[in-house]
Amino acid sequence: MIEFDEQQKRLVLKLVYYGPALSGKTTNLLCLHDRLQQEGRGELMMLDTTEDRTIYFDLLPFFYVAPSGLKIKLKVYTVPGQVRHDATRKAVLQRADGVVFIADSQLIQQGVNAESFANLEQNLSMVGLAIEQLPLVVQFNKQDLPGVVPEAELRETWGPTGLPVFMASALQGWGVLETFQAAVEGLFDTVDQKLGLREHYQVSRDDFVAQLVQAETKL
Amino acid sequence: MTEASSHIEFIIGEEKRLADIVGKAEVEPLLRSALKLGITRAALLDEDDLPLAVLGELPESGAPVRKQLNILVEGEPKGALLLEATEDLPGFEAIARLLQDALQLTVTNNLKRMLTTEVHTTIVQESYEQLVNTNRRLMESERRYRDLARDLELKVEERTAELKAAYSRLLQQEKLAAVGQLAAGMAHEINTPLGFIGSNLHSFTKYQARMAEMLELYQRLLDEGGVLEQIAWQARQRRQQLKLDFVLTDSGLLLEQCREGVERIATIVAQLKGFAHLDGMEQQSMDLVHELKQLLAGRAPQFPPNTRLITDLQPLPPVVCRVPLMVQAFANILDNALKSRAEGLELRVSSAVAGERLLISISDNGCGIPADQLPRIFEPFFTTRPVGSGTGMGLTVAREAVIGAGGALEVTSREGEGTVVTVCLPLTLDP
Repeated sequence: MIEFDEQQKRLVLKLVYYGPALSGKTTNLLCLHDRLQQEGRGELMMLDTTEDRTIYFDLLPFFYVAPSGLKIKLKVYTVPGQVRHDATRKAVLQRADGVVFIADSQLIQQGVNAESFANLEQNLSMVGLAIEQLPLVVQFNKQDLPGVVPEAELRETWGPTGLPVFMASALQGWGVLETFQAAVEGLFDTVDQKLGLREHYQVSRDDFVAQLVQAETKL
Repeated sequence: MTEASSHIEFIIGEEKRLADIVGKAEVEPLLRSALKLGITRAALLDEDDLPLAVLGELPESGAPVRKQLNILVEGEPKGALLLEATEDLPGFEAIARLLQDALQLTVTNNLKRMLTTEVHTTIVQESYEQLVNTNRRLMESERRYRDLARDLELKVEERTAELKAAYSRLLQQEKLAAVGQLAAGMAHEINTPLGFIGSNLHSFTKYQARMAEMLELYQRLLDEGGVLEQIAWQARQRRQQLKLDFVLTDSGLLLEQCREGVERIATIVAQLKGFAHLDGMEQQSMDLVHELKQLLAGRAPQFPPNTRLITDLQPLPPVVCRVPLMVQAFANILDNALKSRAEGLELRVSSAVAGERLLISISDNGCGIPADQLPRIFEPFFTTRPVGSGTGMGLTVAREAVIGAGGALEVTSREGEGTVVTVCLPLTLDP
């Protein structure tokens, strides 16, 4: 948790999109930016990139004001996926309230996924976060490509972990909102447990989720 | 400055106030250009509506028109641009929008730069810490290696001394074992002749009593006086009763056997004395080739049938040694060769000077020594021959003699093919 100020009635949360290089973390944020209503969110800020690859991070903020007046700001970050930017990943992970792991569905990328997930586990423990207490959602992106691992197989592999797993194509824009919604729900539950959002601040779960994940109404 | 105080901790995502992002100096030029465009007063307000920068004065009279436009940080209003102008200012709206955009761009760009710098600083700090850690580890390991290098010599010396002590203990144990073996072998070798000497002497004592009785009878008969025929008859009778003819013959045999036994013991003792250098024998100059020739001539009668002797004896400089011991050594080696084959022996004897060494080689085409017995051949009393036909001291004595002269004795052998014994002696130059 980045900030919680009771006097100012301000809560700032952090959600991190983690995963191997080129698995589509920034594309996920771009898609969220395009698909969600402008009222609930700020602008997508992309820090310097080299050849379209994230080297620092991207940031997309979301806002929610509870009936009690509590202002909740959710900052969604991506990390650079390349192995060499490990220090940046660690820095971005600090004080995270939730993690979305964007995996690459292509068969040849499965080793890279596993490596990146191990790296996530290691970095979480290095910044003092317990992976089992953190809401964690897994997305298998790039389902639109040929040569992907069948969904049944992915679910069989990841099912035993108990983590919510989503299939998606960020490029085609499906599965992204579902992933984000699951993460927001998980985030709400853990924060509610810690701060008593419902009890003390009249934040309803449905309202919170609906406000943050409000798709642009189709015309 | 200490390490701790120079360390800046950034948390990515930490909220920033507008004042952290832009300063008065950056904002004022923008506000100034607003004044030039006819704005009366321009100000940038922070989150709490407190001015970060203000330019221009409000006139005493006249109600100005106010415009307040939000400045966003991460999509959230974090401050406002406040502009006041007279009602009739043309394009006030456009100027206000232009100024807002310019300020917003400055704020956003500054924020991006700050975030980039923070990540960068965090990484640099982490890398620096890693480097410091690596450096410390390297220095530690360097120190360990330095200490190790310094101690190495000492340690090697210690270990060497330990090894030497262990080796000398081992040698001592081996010597004790050899002495024990020697004593056991000696006891056995001496016991056998001692056994039959004792038994023979026991028999001889009885014979001696009979002889004494016979002598007494003669004396008594002579003293009593009588007819000579009578005396002779009585003496003959008694002599037959005492079986003196057998006793006399057997006594000779017994004594002869005793003498042989004593000789055997004497030989063993003589060999042991040589083995132990107890006799203080003088060192003398020796012509090895001459001695070898004499030895071969002397042993000729013991050559097995159809022996072929091949000699290649090159003259050698004199060797200083205990001559009888050395002669005995070669005799023992030669005897082994002669006993290695019942007939058709091919005996080769050669001598040569090789560098600073004298090499004498005696080889045969005999039975050879089995590989498993080869390591034991120098052990005292080790023999493969039937009991009584070998003392097991031959090669032991030979090697002691050669080593005593500063040389070495080497035996190579293949079972069923033959044996080569090489004696290697140092070349002693004339003083």
